[in-house]
Amino acid sequence: MSKTDVILEANDIYKSFGNVEVLKGISLEAKNREVISILGASGSGKSTFLRCLNFLEIPTSGTISVHGELVDIVNGKPVNPKHIEAIRSRLGMVFQQFNLWTHRTAIENVMEGPIYVKKIPKNLAREKAESLLERVGLKDRMHMYPSQLSGGQQQRVAIARALAMEPDAILFDEPTSALDPELVGEVLKVMQSLAAEGRTMIVVTHEMAFARDVSSKVVFFHAGKIAEQGTPDEMFNNPKTEVFQKFISKI
Amino acid sequence: MDSLEIIIKYWPKLLDGTLMTLKLTFLSVLVAAIISPFLALTRANASPMVQAPLRLYISFIRGTPILAQLFLIYYGSGQFRPILQEWGLWSFFRDPFNCALLTFVLNTTAYQTEILRGGIMGVNRGEIEAGKALGMNKLRILQRIVFPHAYRIAWPALGNEIILMMKASALASVVTIFDILGRTRQIFSRTFDFSIYLWAAILYLCITAIFVLIWRQAELRLNKHIAPSDHLSADKK
Repeated sequence: MSKTDVILEANDIYKSFGNVEVLKGISLEAKNREVISILGASGSGKSTFLRCLNFLEIPTSGTISVHGELVDIVNGKPVNPKHIEAIRSRLGMVFQQFNLWTHRTAIENVMEGPIYVKKIPKNLAREKAESLLERVGLKDRMHMYPSQLSGGQQQRVAIARALAMEPDAILFDEPTSALDPELVGEVLKVMQSLAAEGRTMIVVTHEMAFARDVSSKVVFFHAGKIAEQGTPDEMFNNPKTEVFQKFISKI
Repeated sequence: MDSLEIIIKYWPKLLDGTLMTLKLTFLSVLVAAIISPFLALTRANASPMVQAPLRLYISFIRGTPILAQLFLIYYGSGQFRPILQEWGLWSFFRDPFNCALLTFVLNTTAYQTEILRGGIMGVNRGEIEAGKALGMNKLRILQRIVFPHAYRIAWPALGNEIILMMKASALASVVTIFDILGRTRQIFSRTFDFSIYLWAAILYLCITAIFVLIWRQAELRLNKHIAPSDHLSADKK
């Protein structure tokens, strides 16, 4: 694959909280249409890494580039912070706790980014939001507030909100971990359909079935480093490291 | 003269006083409402060094009686008349209305700042992160996420503060302003009929009651996102 196919590139990311080093030199690149599942025990740094990619956490050092916008971080300070907002608007983010704006209806949540970040006219943003909500199966709920929606519905609105920005890649931070078991399926189904239409996705997850069946690449985090990575096939059928063997045997 | 006759004779004066009370309250609350968001943001986010003078001001206002504050400005300014004249400020401080207004603005700004700061601190961090993740700049996040939530959280306490301010504005009568209480005292000194104070109390009560009604309606509108049952039924139609 040529270099232009690389959507997102993180290079040698370190992150410390106080004296605790959470990420110890992580490099990862996401190519166009790739679906990367990040696995790991809690505390392995996988969520922190994902949050570093769009600067919700500022890494201690490293380089992150998204589609040519490059940010270098030295001593916990981005060298060119102006690119951060540009990078963020190119990366969608779906949170574990949904984080919908509770004072706005579903459709208002989806319209917000296009109107106030991309400066798209309101009527166009509304049309688009409607079709996105239809796509995640919530057209009939679009005028409801988040408090009137189930967790699974809220997470689907959050996915529509991310899609509305037409991102180059979408980051998912344990998108189904806060859901009741019977609601997990509806969210995974939407994610699966996104993968099928060729979206670039980076997913921190505990859903082994998703990692195995949907993703094109699996990355296993252990103690702030990438312990093992490969295709789901290689990883699940023939795990190389002891830590990953142990990890999958527990599930 | 019985009390009904007094009210018939003197109601224009009482009305005049009511307008003065409303004017004083409205202006001081309005000015404070314009200033306090900036101060509240400073209180919520700025470094301790920047906050130090603000905290000093707020604890001074909260720790001293409002009557003392009024005297400090009204009589205090007289002490500094030559300096104020030199600075061209004397014409402002000469007018007791201005002194009262300034006192009330300083007072209610401090309280509104603290109330709003509580609101800002109460905003769900996740919703702010969602704004950041979308690429919103700081100003947009404040405008679209932080303040809409902060005001909703602070709303009942703000209403309370406005009522307290309205009642505290009666102190202005001590520095010769003819607000409700000022007019009442004037009428009493002419009629020696104590019932006029009762009418004044009823006036204050009415203002408060009307204000509470309006404020609560506004609160219901602001909080329709957390009243699921109403909305479900409205949507089903």
